[in-house]
Amino acid sequence: MTYPPGNPYGGGNPYGGQPQPGYGQPPGNPYGQPQPGYGQPPPGYGQPPPGYGQPPPGYGQQPPYGGPPPQGAPSGVPATLNPQSLPDDDNVNPYVFCIALNGEWFMSKGAMLAYYGNIQFDAVTEYSSVQAWVANRFSSPVYIQDWVVAQGHGKLLIGDRGFDLNAYDLDDGNLTIKASNLCAFSKQLELKQSIVPGFVTLIGTGKFIASSNGPVIFVEPPFRADPDALLGWADCPSPSVHHDAQWMTQNIRGMISGALGRASGEERQYDFTGQGTILLQSSEIAREDPAVLRLVESQTQLLTNAQAGSLGQRLVARAQQQH
Amino acid sequence: MSFETVNSKVVRAHVSASTPVLARRGAMLGYSGQVTFRPVHGQGRGIGGMVGAAMSGESNAMMATEGTGQVLYGYKGLHVTVLELDGGAPLVCEADRLLAHDANLQTSVQFLGSGGMKQAISGAMTGQGLFTTNVHGRGSVAVLSHGGAFPLQLNGQQVGVDPQAYVGHVGQLSVDLAAKVGFRDVVGRGSGEAFQLRISGHGTVYVQASEQKF
Repeated sequence: MTYPPGNPYGGGNPYGGQPQPGYGQPPGNPYGQPQPGYGQPPPGYGQPPPGYGQPPPGYGQQPPYGGPPPQGAPSGVPATLNPQSLPDDDNVNPYVFCIALNGEWFMSKGAMLAYYGNIQFDAVTEYSSVQAWVANRFSSPVYIQDWVVAQGHGKLLIGDRGFDLNAYDLDDGNLTIKASNLCAFSKQLELKQSIVPGFVTLIGTGKFIASSNGPVIFVEPPFRADPDALLGWADCPSPSVHHDAQWMTQNIRGMISGALGRASGEERQYDFTGQGTILLQSSEIAREDPAVLRLVESQTQLLTNAQAGSLGQRLVARAQQQH
Repeated sequence: MSFETVNSKVVRAHVSASTPVLARRGAMLGYSGQVTFRPVHGQGRGIGGMVGAAMSGESNAMMATEGTGQVLYGYKGLHVTVLELDGGAPLVCEADRLLAHDANLQTSVQFLGSGGMKQAISGAMTGQGLFTTNVHGRGSVAVLSHGGAFPLQLNGQQVGVDPQAYVGHVGQLSVDLAAKVGFRDVVGRGSGEAFQLRISGHGTVYVQASEQKF
């Protein structure tokens, strides 16, 4: 908790601790800042990146969808982009982000759309045997298989399922995000597995890029969020699970499944308290996250053999029910 | 009272003791305040009522949102359109397009077959089955669509709509299915536009920018 109180991402950040005037409001302007020319050397690592402490790009204060393209082409006609005209560490459009790569970035497998320049993609597992720092930065054995290190120089375009992409600047802060929505993060950031299954926490100072189904909605605690709609949270304590007692007593099925430890998802919300910011999206069609299986499996070590057997039977019954 | 648009895919409802909201189950994204959710079974008690709802598959699992607070609704990243009903003509759409509506609005299931064979066929073509849902009363409705819904105003003209792109309508409108099935369609080389909904009268038709349902 070393960041300035009330302001998690550095000065002037719109979604800091202060109450926001309506959380549908976007944090800044993706196209607004003048792009540094391509010939300009990218900022060296260790120095603050140019957008550091400034609002991360968001959508909405200007017409983002179908709005004017960044390079001033006639409206409606997308500008043809080349390595020079591609933005540096900024959105090309709401769905595509361009990283000006000079060194290494962590990237989710499959997020790469295209690239200019000399870029190599290595699995994090392989790369960490060459570069020891990787293992320190990426401390999540569950997710390490789904990530690659992009290394080299050039322009790297990333996207995810046509979702909206946002870049976030962390300034000695922490932000926990749904693992399947995290697309890329700079190597200055440290990734750790969250206590909440399916989420990872990014700690430190740097930039990361995450996708959301529709623009991100920022809210402040106290707030209860549907697990499917929760994109992440910054600075607040990890959520607790709230069970809607009324739902469970009024709905016989809910009661039975509650007693069995199952949940239909309706009565269960993540409850946030304390100070911080919660990131929400419109609930998405859940993408199968292979890491969840590994996570849950590792948790079954807590069970006795008899318990594991009965859990196995229940799982078999569930799998048969669904087919 | 009504729904406030947060972005193209999310609406915020201000729920109070006098203005509860009915919403699709699983559509709640999050809330602040003292809000409780209660499952609601069956739909309105209109023509068809419970029996109709059970038979037709036009009953969508809904829940009542009660208490005082602000609730965010959205569903699977679909676009949300908020419509204000003035208490005149009902909104006609499929039950599973309803994201949320003011609890004082009444929903009822309408049997399309009573409008003759043509109506029934058009129901089958739009994916509505032989039943459709009417929403009566004065209040707000949040409707789901794939790609966003846009209104087409009709003042006695006629408009042709792709059955898959049709979302719903409000007003004194008659909906007919026009089929132009020729030889090319039979052999699978049709234009893909052999079936059209011919909608005429006075009112508003809502059309989505996609032929995909959800």
